Formats: sequence, C-alpha cells, structure tokens
Amino acid sequence: MSLIEVKDLEVHYPIRSGFWNRVTDEVLAVDGISLDIEAGETYGLVGESGSGKSTTGKSIVGLEKPTKGQILYKGKDITKPRNRHELDYNQDVQMIFQDSLSSLNPRKRIEDIIAEPLRNFAHLSKDDEKLRVLQLLDIVGLDADALYKYPHQFSGGQRQRIGVARAVATNPKLIVADEPVSALDLSVQAQVLNFMKKIQRDFGVSYLFISHDLGVVRHMCDNIAIMHRGRIVEIGTRDDIYNHPMHIYTKRLLSAIPETSVEHREEAREHREAVEKEFQENQDRYYDKDGKVLPLIAVTDTHKVAMPQDEVDELQREDD
Amino acid sequence: MAQNDNLEKKSSISAEDLARLSKEAEEEATPSSRKIIWNEFKADKAAMTSVIIIVAFILFVVIASFFIPAHDYKEVNIMSYFNKPFTPDFWLGADSSGRSIAKLLIVGSRNSIGIAIGLTFISGAFGIAYGLISGYFGGITDMIMSRIYDFMIMLPQLMFIIVLVTIIQNYNAVTLTLILSLFQWMGTSRLIRSRSLAESRKDYVAASKTSGTGNFRIIFREIMPNISSLIIVEMTLSFAANLGVETGLSFLGFGLPNGTPSLGTLMANATDPTNITQYWWTWIFAAIEIIVLCLAVSYVGQALRRAADSSQRLGME
Repeated sequence: MSLIEVKDLEVHYPIRSGFWNRVTDEVLAVDGISLDIEAGETYGLVGESGSGKSTTGKSIVGLEKPTKGQILYKGKDITKPRNRHELDYNQDVQMIFQDSLSSLNPRKRIEDIIAEPLRNFAHLSKDDEKLRVLQLLDIVGLDADALYKYPHQFSGGQRQRIGVARAVATNPKLIVADEPVSALDLSVQAQVLNFMKKIQRDFGVSYLFISHDLGVVRHMCDNIAIMHRGRIVEIGTRDDIYNHPMHIYTKRLLSAIPETSVEHREEAREHREAVEKEFQENQDRYYDKDGKVLPLIAVTDTHKVAMPQDEVDELQREDD
Repeated sequence: MAQNDNLEKKSSISAEDLARLSKEAEEEATPSSRKIIWNEFKADKAAMTSVIIIVAFILFVVIASFFIPAHDYKEVNIMSYFNKPFTPDFWLGADSSGRSIAKLLIVGSRNSIGIAIGLTFISGAFGIAYGLISGYFGGITDMIMSRIYDFMIMLPQLMFIIVLVTIIQNYNAVTLTLILSLFQWMGTSRLIRSRSLAESRKDYVAASKTSGTGNFRIIFREIMPNISSLIIVEMTLSFAANLGVETGLSFLGFGLPNGTPSLGTLMANATDPTNITQYWWTWIFAAIEIIVLCLAVSYVGQALRRAADSSQRLGME
C-alpha cells in the first residue's frame, strides 16, 4: 500500500467581482489530480509557475483546504482537520519551504525553531530536546554555535539546511519540499540536495519534490509527474519521462533544460524551435476545447499520459 | 524511542557532548533586542534624559503621595486663600480653598498618570489582541470584527463618556479607566490588524502550523514578537495621548469626581479669567508638567521607533 494516496484532488479559488462581491468565476488551481507516493521514494512534481504544484503540496501537508477529492493516509482522509488531529498527521508529514528566510521566524533562535515540532509532538525533557537539536544540526552539517543565533545571521544555504533540520526533527515519513533549492545558487543547491539525499538514505523518508527545474528533478526523483494548468499531463518513472516523453508539453519542458555546449548551440536552438512548433500545431489535439488537459491514459504499467487514445496507438506502432 | 536511536547512530553527537556544546553555543550567542534599544538611548541624549525624567517623576509622585494624608489636600483653609508660591509653607502657592498646589499636584499627577497607564494597558492589550486575531484568521472572522470596529469608531466617543459618567453614581479612578478604555482600543487594533494580516501570510506561520502549533500560540508567541517593536512604539505614544484624555475630561468637569485631585482639575482653574491673570500658579505648574511629560514620552517613543527600524538607527554596536 502506498504511503499517501491523492485521489482526484481539486482546489478551486473563487473570483469575486461586481457590486455585490458575488462569486462570478473560479480559478482551477488544482483540477483533479491523483498521485500515489510510496514509502522511501522521491516523487517529483514538475510544472511551470501557476500550474498548481505548490497548491498540491500545501494540500498534502494540510495548509490548503481542498475543494474536492481525498488524500488518504493510513486509510483516513486527512483533508478533514479532525482526522489530521487524530493521527498527529504533521508528525509524519512535514514541509520544506522555498523561501528559507521567511519560513524561519526572525524573532526566534535556531534552537527554538528546530525544537518547535519536537515540543508539540515529542515532549522530551529539556536536555534531551537540546541534544536532539544539536544532533539535527550536526546531520545537516551545522555547528553547535548556531544554536543561539537568529535566522538572518545565516546564508541562504545554511538557512535552507536549518529548514531541512526542522522538517526531519520529528522523524517524518513524508517531507513535502516546495522548490527547496530554487532560491539558491548552483553550488549551494547541490550541497542542500546532497544533505536531503543523505537524510533519505539514513531515515527512509519519502519526498514530494516540487520543482520547475528538470535537471534537479532528474538528480533527485524516482517517479515524476508533470503538471500543467492544474492537471497532470504525464506521469511515470524517471526513465519514462526523460527518455520516452510522449506529451507535447513534456517535450517542450525537456527542450527548455539549458545546455552549456557552445558547439551545439545552433542545433539546440533548432530542436527547441521544432518542439515549440509541434506544440503550437498540435495544441488543440492534446487539450480539449476549453484548453483543459485530457484524461490520463495508461501507456505502460508505470507510464500514463494525457493524450488522445489514437495518438497513443500511433506512437506505440512507431516504437514497434 | 526507536527514532531517537536512529538519530543517535547517524549523528556523531552524543549525550556527553551536550554540556560542552551548549557552552560553546552560548559564547556565540547574538546580542538581544534589549541591547539594541539600550544603544539607541545611549546615542540619543534627549531620549535618555526623557527616560530619566519620566521614571524619576513617576517614582517621586507615587512615593511622595503616600506621605500626603487625604485631609491635607481636601480640607479648606481660609487663612491661606490664594497664598503666593515659593513661600516656606506653600512651595507652589495655594488655590482658592487654601489647599497647597504642590500637594494637589503630587496626588493629582499620581491619579492622572495612574489612569493613563491603566488606560494604555487595558485598551492597548484589548486592541492588540483584537487586531491580531482579526488579522490572523481573516475571512469571515475578520469581516465581523471589522464591522464591530466600524460601529465603535462611528460612536461619538466624548458624548458617550460624558453620559456614562453622569449615569454611573459612584465612580472612581478605576471605573473611569474602564469607561475610557471602552472607547480607546480602536486605533491600536486597526494598526495591529494591518500588520497581523501581512505577517500571518508569511511562511514561518505556515511552518508553525505544520509543526503542530495551535492557532492562539501562533498568534501570541510567533506573530506578536515579530510586531513587538510596533507595539512598544504604539503603546508609548498612546500613553502620551491617554494622559490628555483624562486631563481633558477633568478639565471639562466630567473626569474624576469632585475632591479627587488630578492634572485636569488643576488645569480647570484656568477656566476663570482672574485665575489666568492674577493667580497663575494655580494652573501653570500642571500645564508645564503635562507639556514636559508628553514631550518626554514622545522622545522616548521616537527612540524606540528608531531602535525598531534598523535603517533609522543612531546607536552603533
């Protein structure tokens, strides 16, 4: 059984307008997505900004109230606050935020920040708690002198590592990492990601890794879901997505990964332009008349894609 | 404690290191905000003088008023009718009933300052809590609380206070403070609400929620410390304003009951033209005291405001 099952999750925001401030329309931030996250794996959630990936992540941690759908954990629907409370849900599911500075309370010392989930869930003695915090700091490679400092005294990478330490404090089973490294520069990104990988090896925690950076996702994730306009356009293993992309949007995203080889600059550009042309020409076949993403169709056991059935058959015939 | 064992294995730190490491950490600890405020006052001589004046004056007034028995400033003594000031018996002269202005001033200051402090704390605490809760929860809670606020701000406050004071038969300093507090919390609550709205959308609040911290704990332990500088400044400046509220009411004759001296009742001597020209000592000392106190408080408020905003800071580390 999966660790967490997301079933047909929908998060809609009302748009109010007019004299009476009535609800006149809705923003379909997340419009019916389903995911299964297994224990110990890293699940990548990729998409452009506004595609609903952060909203999905927040719904899974319980920060966002879904309009419809279920999120099952230990057989209970945790979209209901009562069930979350009963399960001590946030002891098992934690979050790492994108903006490391604003996610740490500027008026609290590092000790109090990391100890906060411990105080709420673990109820340790004062000395045990301090020891725990020191060990957590050690795990993310920070010294004991960080204990009584304030967040603004650390660099971006150090702050993000403090965020990671807080997230693993209660030894959770799933950590939702909402673009944890996109605000950091490249060398620091690698450092933080390696700490996250090390923690995964040591503690067997699962990650829901939300990112728009396909390079980072390739480094981190076993399974990947590509989101667009609030729905999943393609879902599969790393191999499925990177080596056999089927949806035009996935192809377009993959072609946008920057390459550093100067010699192949022209070729890369031509490739990008070809992909973009394909996207523009075929858009009306891959999206329905309202511009919505089509329902997912299974191609293989692991690979699902949102495209018309006849296209799938055609592509499979080409492969054979 | 299976999870603890796991952590123990992966980390090189064990229980034996605890004392050494926490000592190390304490040596590297950062200066607190108290230190920053202290530096700010050291750099600003006017604010420093103001603090000393305010603290010394309040202490003097409170302590001295214990040594002045009630009959001293309540009994009429026709022999010392409008006694001139700066005489051995009457340092600051006497009023039309022959009561010593100096004693009235001391006891009156204690009453007025006491009311101002009480008013600042009660209305401040209520306003802060109201604003924080309204801003944090948002949505329908905020809607209802804001409409109540709008209703309160619409009421003619002075009229209400005067009517309430007239209706209530036996009122004293405490009831007056409570009545005044009823109409004084709105400004603070509006200011705090706007900051609370902005603050509660920040990620650290979301992080606290996922850490399992309850709503009211988040409001008062996470958000409130982050707007503490605003709160301190607002409370200090509203103290100066509240000093004026009681004084103004007593001046109009609706403040403290007759026979209870206050800065306002002393100021009320100035309603008589002969007092203004001939017997100036009956009101001028109270006036000077109010001016000095309000100025001093506002200097302190400014220094605190600068301490809260690092771009305006004068005090260097």
